[in-house]
Amino acid sequence: MKRTLMMVMAVVAMTSMAASAGTISGKVSGVAGESVVYVEAPAGKTFPAPTQQPVIDQKGLMFQPHITAVQAGTTVQFLNSDSVAHNVFWPSVGGNKKLTHNLGTWPKGEKRPFKFDNPGAVPLLCNVHPEMSGYVVVSPTPYFAVSDKSGEYKIENVPDGSYTVTAWHEGAKNQSKPVAVAGDSKADFTLSK
Amino acid sequence: MDTRHRVSLFFAFVLTVMLLTGSSYAIPAFSRQYGTSCTTCHVDFPKLNDFGKAFKDAGFKFPKDDETFIKIPPVMLGAPAQKDMWPHVIFPGTIPGIPQIGLRFNQFFQYTSGNANNYNNQVPPGTSPGTPLSPNIPRTDFEPGFFSIFMAGNFGSDIAFWVDDDLSVSGENANGSLGDGYLRFVNVGRFLKLPADAFTVRVGQFELDLPFTQARSINISPYDIYTEANISVPNQTTGQQGVNNVLAMQDAGHGIEFSGGHQYGGYHYSLAIVDQNTSNSVAAAPNVPSPTGGTSGGVGFFSDSNFKDLYANFSYRFNLEKDPASRHDVQAAGATGPRDHTYLSVGSFYFYGRSAQRFAGFASDGVTSAVITSHEPFYRVGGDFSFNYRTFNLFGLYMFGHDQDLLLNSGDTGFVAGPTAKFNGGFLEADYLVLPWVMTILRYDRVQSSADFLNQTNSVNYFAPAGSTRDRFTPGVQFLIHPNIKASFEYQFRPQQVTYNSSGQASSPFRTNTATGALEFVY
Repeated sequence: MKRTLMMVMAVVAMTSMAASAGTISGKVSGVAGESVVYVEAPAGKTFPAPTQQPVIDQKGLMFQPHITAVQAGTTVQFLNSDSVAHNVFWPSVGGNKKLTHNLGTWPKGEKRPFKFDNPGAVPLLCNVHPEMSGYVVVSPTPYFAVSDKSGEYKIENVPDGSYTVTAWHEGAKNQSKPVAVAGDSKADFTLSK
Repeated sequence: MDTRHRVSLFFAFVLTVMLLTGSSYAIPAFSRQYGTSCTTCHVDFPKLNDFGKAFKDAGFKFPKDDETFIKIPPVMLGAPAQKDMWPHVIFPGTIPGIPQIGLRFNQFFQYTSGNANNYNNQVPPGTSPGTPLSPNIPRTDFEPGFFSIFMAGNFGSDIAFWVDDDLSVSGENANGSLGDGYLRFVNVGRFLKLPADAFTVRVGQFELDLPFTQARSINISPYDIYTEANISVPNQTTGQQGVNNVLAMQDAGHGIEFSGGHQYGGYHYSLAIVDQNTSNSVAAAPNVPSPTGGTSGGVGFFSDSNFKDLYANFSYRFNLEKDPASRHDVQAAGATGPRDHTYLSVGSFYFYGRSAQRFAGFASDGVTSAVITSHEPFYRVGGDFSFNYRTFNLFGLYMFGHDQDLLLNSGDTGFVAGPTAKFNGGFLEADYLVLPWVMTILRYDRVQSSADFLNQTNSVNYFAPAGSTRDRFTPGVQFLIHPNIKASFEYQFRPQQVTYNSSGQASSPFRTNTATGALEFVY
């Protein structure tokens, strides 16, 4: 009897959550290629850091993937798969040059972790191969998405409510707009360089 | 500094500032093939960093896993299965997927001290009134420089190639010439079961394996010691010009070179056997065919003697990193990323040849006319060092030149030993890369040659060194506008010179200091 009651309560709870969570979808236009769209953190709201550790590889003198979106507090593993020496550094986080950091040098096959606590775009560079370029976009909330190359994106499981949503694209100016989420919501962005 | 000085400097500064805007990457041949920046291999082009040296040592390819970095795949000259038919040969190989062509052009602007006209403002003794004289040396001058084409790459099977040619020099298309042109068979030692990279063979025309390259130097002006020929003072009694050796160390050699080791750490050696031509004359071939010209003309032969010159170079580079893995790797692992090693290298080099000169004389009977040939042995020997700490590089070279002079004997039937002709000198240079796009240079050149001084005095030449020693300081700065576009400036505190008055007396020592700016690009 006790077990049945718990199951009923769980179903009720899940149904309740589904009813209050929606999606934000739309298109980022004005620029070509992938963009990142994320929900800004509501005042006073915090989110637990995820345990997943995405990997960014340095392979063939390129950062792969070119753009990685993570939630603030995520630890990213930087792998070197090349037989030449690389490093990873970034001159700023979200434009804040005080957050510059250099991960140093490590050999082929090894990883070096870094935890990104500060939201914003992190331009990844290698100091011996200046053509190498990559980005970590740190979202303040777990609600973010990387668009496809045509700019279409979809952020799922966003609790109903009012938010500020920001679109980022490499080399373009960020654009933010208020979005009221109640079920499926739409938000299109037009970015310019 | 007068107004014209200020205006010239101002415009040079404005030009630099205007060009120091924008951003992009160089696209020379290897950049295109590997999709990488010039700075992967160059500190300040054409100066190589440690990775660039390893790339060159490996035969113009990445030292490891080259195929994983190539963005434009090579074209196979036969299916891989072809190799199975003849497993012990390297047939069929590959060619690069795109023509490995690079182009380079530079343009100079020079500001010369007014002293340069101390010669031209005098009428040479004995000159008849109305005789046209040389034009005035301008205070400032725009000068078109070199337009060069270069091709380099790898044909697979560890066979590398390089060809560079100056298509135009000083705006004159006819002035260009071949720089280097060779095939390099890398790591041939593997067939002899020698350690990796212990034995490599290069065949063609090439700059000798000098401790510090002249052909691919970042400096605007050449190293004086590399340009020094040894031409002795005519014998006071007979008037004979004994040593007349035009060879300079910067001259390209034709022949074969064996080398091994690495330039980014440990030992490096080379031994070259090259044609000799110390008379700067080319034998005509009216009756004998040559590959480049036969009875109907052509350039004929290069050598002026049967003798082949020998050049040897040995150096050892001590990488000073504490961590063994970092010490032996191509680049050192730094706290802020890979970088050139901190190192000290020392080396020595030796060149031996015989300068051939042919004279009309007599056979041993003293009566029968005969061609008699002197083979004057000569050598160049020197040492060098280079110390590097991060982006600071201090290096220097000392060289001693010695030519044995042979003079016709009294009966013109043979030769007797005359005085030796010697010179010595070298350079010391400090390069400091202040920023990835700003290189500062301070250099000192010195050549001591009593023959230079005496030759000029005897010839009553208006351009005469004031003493046996010529030395100059040359500070410079270079800006990489892009990794493939560079603005360079240097100021030469020139060697002291003198003019001669109408009675042949030296007068008024002075220096023709010169400021030179250069703009160049490669793509």
